Amino acid sequence: MKAGALELGHASKVTSSVPKSGVNRGMSILDLFIRIIAIIATLGSAIAMGTTNETLPFFTQSIRFRAKYNDLPTFTFFVVANAIVSAYFILSLGLSIFHIMRSRAQASRIALIFFDAAMLALLTAGASAAAAIVYLAHKGNTKANWFPICQQFDSFCHRTSGSLVGSFAGVILIILLVLLSSIALSRR
Amino acid sequence: MEKSESTKIEMGESSKLERKLGKAPLLGSPTHAISSSAIVANKRAGNYKRGIAIFDLILRIAAVATAIGAAVGMGTAGETLPFFTQFFQFEAGYDDLPTFQFFVIAMAIVVAYLVLSIPFSIVCIARSHVVAPRLLLIIFDTAIVTLTTSAAGASTAIVYLAHNGNEDANWLAFCNQFGDFCQTTSGAVVAGFLTVVILLILIVLSAIALKRH
Repeated sequence: MKAGALELGHASKVTSSVPKSGVNRGMSILDLFIRIIAIIATLGSAIAMGTTNETLPFFTQSIRFRAKYNDLPTFTFFVVANAIVSAYFILSLGLSIFHIMRSRAQASRIALIFFDAAMLALLTAGASAAAAIVYLAHKGNTKANWFPICQQFDSFCHRTSGSLVGSFAGVILIILLVLLSSIALSRR
Repeated sequence: MEKSESTKIEMGESSKLERKLGKAPLLGSPTHAISSSAIVANKRAGNYKRGIAIFDLILRIAAVATAIGAAVGMGTAGETLPFFTQFFQFEAGYDDLPTFQFFVIAMAIVVAYLVLSIPFSIVCIARSHVVAPRLLLIIFDTAIVTLTTSAAGASTAIVYLAHNGNEDANWLAFCNQFGDFCQTTSGAVVAGFLTVVILLILIVLSAIALKRH
């Protein structure tokens, strides 16, 4: 009976430690997977916005009939921000793989959370600034006398609106990444 | 029959004794020495976690102040020019631009969230070893950082347009006429970004405090 009590104690310890590191490893693999999807999303957004170029088939001397992402500084910021974030994700793949191999690393996970949060702020700022401009381009503003340029530049508008989708998807994915890292950090 | 009963009782007693004896050696075993040093390390960790939690509370109150400043600054930004014609109104308020409306509403939500999260922060100070409130705080802080940055970023785009205009889209820079309105809204956007910075520091603090020893 004594042996039975001791055996019970040992058995409960063993069964609780194995799933913990197993779940941590599973979360690290999910982290890597989400990172790869986020690379595709942000890179796709940057390329989609960066390759916009629409020229209307008629022109006069004074008014421009060509639209590129360069024409609006906010869109330039959007392309640059998305490029920086996708470069960061590519670089952080290495750290993510390191976390799969060593599930107990803590300081590197905290560093990863810090950089993920900073990139979250950058990406959200770029995406929402571009969203404000796209909204203006669609609706205009009568009080400020801003004309909705989407009525002339249809394809430009479509392309810019579509590239926003990938960026906002990247934002949601970064939030998931921070969530996963903090849960993995708190389970030891 | 009696013998078997007495043996039964004996077995019961001896098993109880054995169970007690089975637990007692823990006091003198090497595992106890390890657990005592773990207890001391745990206490030190609890102290620095408490320090982090107090700093977290102070930063949260500072973030409430900046977020209120941003919301109120943008909400009360309004200017009426001293001249008028029959057809045009020369006044500007935050509700003329939907982006500024979004900014005010988002900042109001952020203020409400920060005020509601102060009790969670106090719980983290009182009990330094809990994981659940800290995890909750870090998750919601991340979501709120997204909301704040989104509002501040969108308003920055509009404020930039208001200052510089855009020739290619034929958008006039209305800051040349509404100078006061422009200044107030720009100040509100800066306060919004200050809130973002404070929230980012809060996220990192929560992450450090989540470390298990």
